[in-house]
Amino acid sequence: MSNWLVISWRLLRHELRRGELTVMALAVTLAVTAVLSLSIFSERLQGGLVARSGEFLAADRVLSTRQQVNPAWLEQATEQGLDYAERVTFNSMVFAHEQLALADIKAVTAKYPLRGELEVAEQPFIAGAATAYLPGPGEAWIHSGLFQQLPLALGDVIEVGAKQFTVTKVLTKEPDAGFNVFNDSPTVLIQYADLAATQLIQPGSRVSYNYLFAGEPAAITAYEDWLVPQLDDLNQRWRSIRDDDSPLASALERAERFMLLASLLGVVLAATAVAVAAQRYCQRNYDAVAIMKTLGGTRSFISRVFTAHLLLLSVFSIAAGLALGYGLQFVVVSFVGSQLGYVLPAASQGPWWLAIITGLLAALMFSLYPLLRLMRIPPLRVLRRELDGSDLGRWLHWVFSGATIYVLMVLYSRSWLLSAALFGGGIVATVVLLLIGRLFIRASREAGMQAGSSWRLAMANMQRRARENSLQMLSFSTAIMLFLLVLALRNELLEDWQNQLPENAPNYFVINVAEQQVTALQEVFRTEQIEATDLYPLTPGRLMAVNGELVADAVNKSDREEAGQTELRQGFGRELQLTWRHTVPPENKVVAGSWWPTEASNAQPHKSVSVESRVAKRLNIVVGDVLTMQVGAEEFTVPVSNIREVNWNSMQPNFYLIFSPAAFADIPVTYIASFYLPSERNSELYSLFRDFPQVSLIDVDSIIQQIRAVIGHVSLAITFVMFLVVFAGALVLVAQVQASLEEREQELVILRTLGARSRMLAQAVTYEFIVLGALAGLIAALAMELTIYVLQTQVFAMPATLHVRFWLLGPGIGALVVASLGWLTTRRLLAKRTAALIRNLN
Amino acid sequence: MAVIQAHSVSRHVVTNAGRLDILSSIDLTIDAAETLAIVGASGSGKSTLLAMLAGLDLPSSGHISIDNVNLSELDEEQRAILRGEKIGFIFQSFLLIQSLTALENVMLPAELAGAANPQAQARELLEKVGLSGRLDHYPNQLSGGEQQRVAIARAFIGEPEILFADEPTGNLDRHTGEKIEQLLFALNREFGTTLIIVTHDDRLAKKCQRIVHIDSGYLTEPAGHE
Repeated sequence: MSNWLVISWRLLRHELRRGELTVMALAVTLAVTAVLSLSIFSERLQGGLVARSGEFLAADRVLSTRQQVNPAWLEQATEQGLDYAERVTFNSMVFAHEQLALADIKAVTAKYPLRGELEVAEQPFIAGAATAYLPGPGEAWIHSGLFQQLPLALGDVIEVGAKQFTVTKVLTKEPDAGFNVFNDSPTVLIQYADLAATQLIQPGSRVSYNYLFAGEPAAITAYEDWLVPQLDDLNQRWRSIRDDDSPLASALERAERFMLLASLLGVVLAATAVAVAAQRYCQRNYDAVAIMKTLGGTRSFISRVFTAHLLLLSVFSIAAGLALGYGLQFVVVSFVGSQLGYVLPAASQGPWWLAIITGLLAALMFSLYPLLRLMRIPPLRVLRRELDGSDLGRWLHWVFSGATIYVLMVLYSRSWLLSAALFGGGIVATVVLLLIGRLFIRASREAGMQAGSSWRLAMANMQRRARENSLQMLSFSTAIMLFLLVLALRNELLEDWQNQLPENAPNYFVINVAEQQVTALQEVFRTEQIEATDLYPLTPGRLMAVNGELVADAVNKSDREEAGQTELRQGFGRELQLTWRHTVPPENKVVAGSWWPTEASNAQPHKSVSVESRVAKRLNIVVGDVLTMQVGAEEFTVPVSNIREVNWNSMQPNFYLIFSPAAFADIPVTYIASFYLPSERNSELYSLFRDFPQVSLIDVDSIIQQIRAVIGHVSLAITFVMFLVVFAGALVLVAQVQASLEEREQELVILRTLGARSRMLAQAVTYEFIVLGALAGLIAALAMELTIYVLQTQVFAMPATLHVRFWLLGPGIGALVVASLGWLTTRRLLAKRTAALIRNLN
Repeated sequence: MAVIQAHSVSRHVVTNAGRLDILSSIDLTIDAAETLAIVGASGSGKSTLLAMLAGLDLPSSGHISIDNVNLSELDEEQRAILRGEKIGFIFQSFLLIQSLTALENVMLPAELAGAANPQAQARELLEKVGLSGRLDHYPNQLSGGEQQRVAIARAFIGEPEILFADEPTGNLDRHTGEKIEQLLFALNREFGTTLIIVTHDDRLAKKCQRIVHIDSGYLTEPAGHE
């Protein structure tokens, strides 16, 4: 083995044994552990949830169109290794025994469903069992509801258009049935090959073509990137579970953003600890390098020694981090998997590479400057101890560290722009924090002059080392701020989720309530003490035009082409359920314009409509626009009086368009409401609704339970992240306090030699750290408040809140932790005999 | 035969207060196996002279050569190699590497020079300086005298032509200092090394064959002594 490698290994072995490199090794290990465990966990959890969620779509992605798509698109999917299936749906009358009923006809190709399972039974209204098959040629599987509407039994024949089908199974569950309380037509499932024979698909027919795709995530993404730019936004919609307005998608997205942010903060903290520890480590080796150079060591030889030293340390730390990270995620995934009731899919190699690159960047880039400086130590230092290679500009350190943090940010956020914004903000914050730190130090000096001797000594020291102290304070503040930030965000997210789905979130929807039953039903809710939402009137209607300009779905394509109208406004593409009311519904917030006057006011009743904000944006509708609506055979116009944000996560009836009551008069309507019934009162359902036979009840309890389970596990994950960030923050504090005390060591020894009592010295150092920690905590709370405001409003789409308790918690934690660490280290130092201390200094 | 030659060597530094002359027009020739003491008051420039004679620093003007090699014509790397091949050092504050044991500290110069198996030689030298029982001790586990013995063993491991000692007994009590002096001179005789000692201790200086004085940057050589 080469001599430089022998010396390098020897130095590393001794220093590891003596604990010199513990903080640095721990910091790198921690960064790798955090990144690997979080990335694998996040990827596996996300993969599991998305796969499960995919079962709600029966695929990973769905392309919904009004017309059949170019066959080349499907060939491309097959070429990219994706599975695909087709599902064609439309409404049609079904005949049997000379009676008819409206049904939702669903024709599917052989591979349907790509995700999830169909469930069938041998008789209606009983629980079904999963099946891997589809109806045979000329067969139909029908939903229980159709057995209620038509006098049917299994084996009977139904007519759908020009084709007859034999009913062979009762369809009890379809994975892509969706959660739509407004759609109550029973399904008739047939083979795609039988569709043509029904002769129901004619030019102009209202048919929905759905192309289902499933495959490896990378292949899906590649296909998505290829296909989506070619889509016609007006008539073609590309969907994944994430495009859903469900609370699940929203919770997943926020949790993912949180984990990403927290991982990045954890890594930045760990890297800061590496930088502080590396600086300290290199300073301790200034003499060693000077001695080696004096004794004949060339710069290249010594560079190899210390580079190998650092690489060996990095390799060991990264290996330890990988082992720990894998073990940690294994434990967490096993636990979460057992809770979820299914095995989470394996992660890709991505997290491993991310962890290794992060570990190398943290270990090498943050210690590069101290190392370069170490290499520049002149041999003359053996005679002139003040020579320390300081001719190497400190700006180089900022360039290396800054560039590394920026690269890490890009690596994690995958956005150059977002990283640049965060990075710029970070630089401004650093400068401001440094200035505030200086001001606080100056102010504390004034205050300290009034106090006892230990305090005076502490404050005098603080003032004398103002530059070093403000840098230390910056490091303390950053660690405390990131800790507070993660703590506050975690609490906010959990609280927000819990608020969205409180214990008494509505778990039943009641629909088809006739107008004359509204009062009676409200009375039932009141007397039985059932928490229910308002009853909302419902009527189906279509948006035909905006400001007199027809929307695309109001005109069929051939008419459009005939009229030369190729550029039309986008519409909803379907019939909507419309409602009207006097007041703004709960969980809705007017963000532009104003709500119409209530009935009680003296204002003249007028027609108005309120539009949901995302729809308004998509359809380019603003306050003052005039909408043309078609309800039944009647068309009318109505001005937009306001735009409204809706909390789609609430289990309440929510609407895109809400009208003022004056807009609807004498229109036959039904009503909808949701209510909460505790599970122990389920047996009361029959008696409660016995007097309302035509009312339909929809149980959404299982959906709520599923959302709660997912949120529970995601909460667990973010708590886990929080602890990792806390640990990284603690490492920074330990590294900084250690480095800071070494600067004070000489002074302590001199004072001790001159007769200062250990107690007084320990007190002075502790007081200095109390003030430094408290000031750092206060600055951290200020910075956290500003940062969290930006994150809440810009990243997490949450309302901004003030965190008053953190204003006390920040200084408290800062003072307690920093002072305790300082006290412990000083105590250990002062416990040594003065002679030993002097020898150490020499 | 001269091993070190200094011709018209001057050293100055430029400070905020202006130019400060540390050494002026030094001429000095040191022969092989000679023992030389450089004495002078604190701040007289003796350590600066040692630094330049050993190639740790370069003169502002004039030149110094070792074995007829002009140090000013060598770059830092070449000077380091020359030090490794020809020079040993002993310092007042011992300057041992704290994270290496006594044995490893002694082995270090040989390892830096690429020697194949320096351990046997290091053990032998440590035995000579009376530290065979302290091979695996770290510097902070040794007394001042013991640390200086390790430094002496380290200085002799490559059997250097020249040994520079900067106040070798300055940090030690008189009794220990005398023992260290005896050891130093005994090894010097055994290895035939040229010994250059910087000291302000007249008693130590008198043990050398030749003494030169530095006063305010100027070198003076008194008449010979015993």
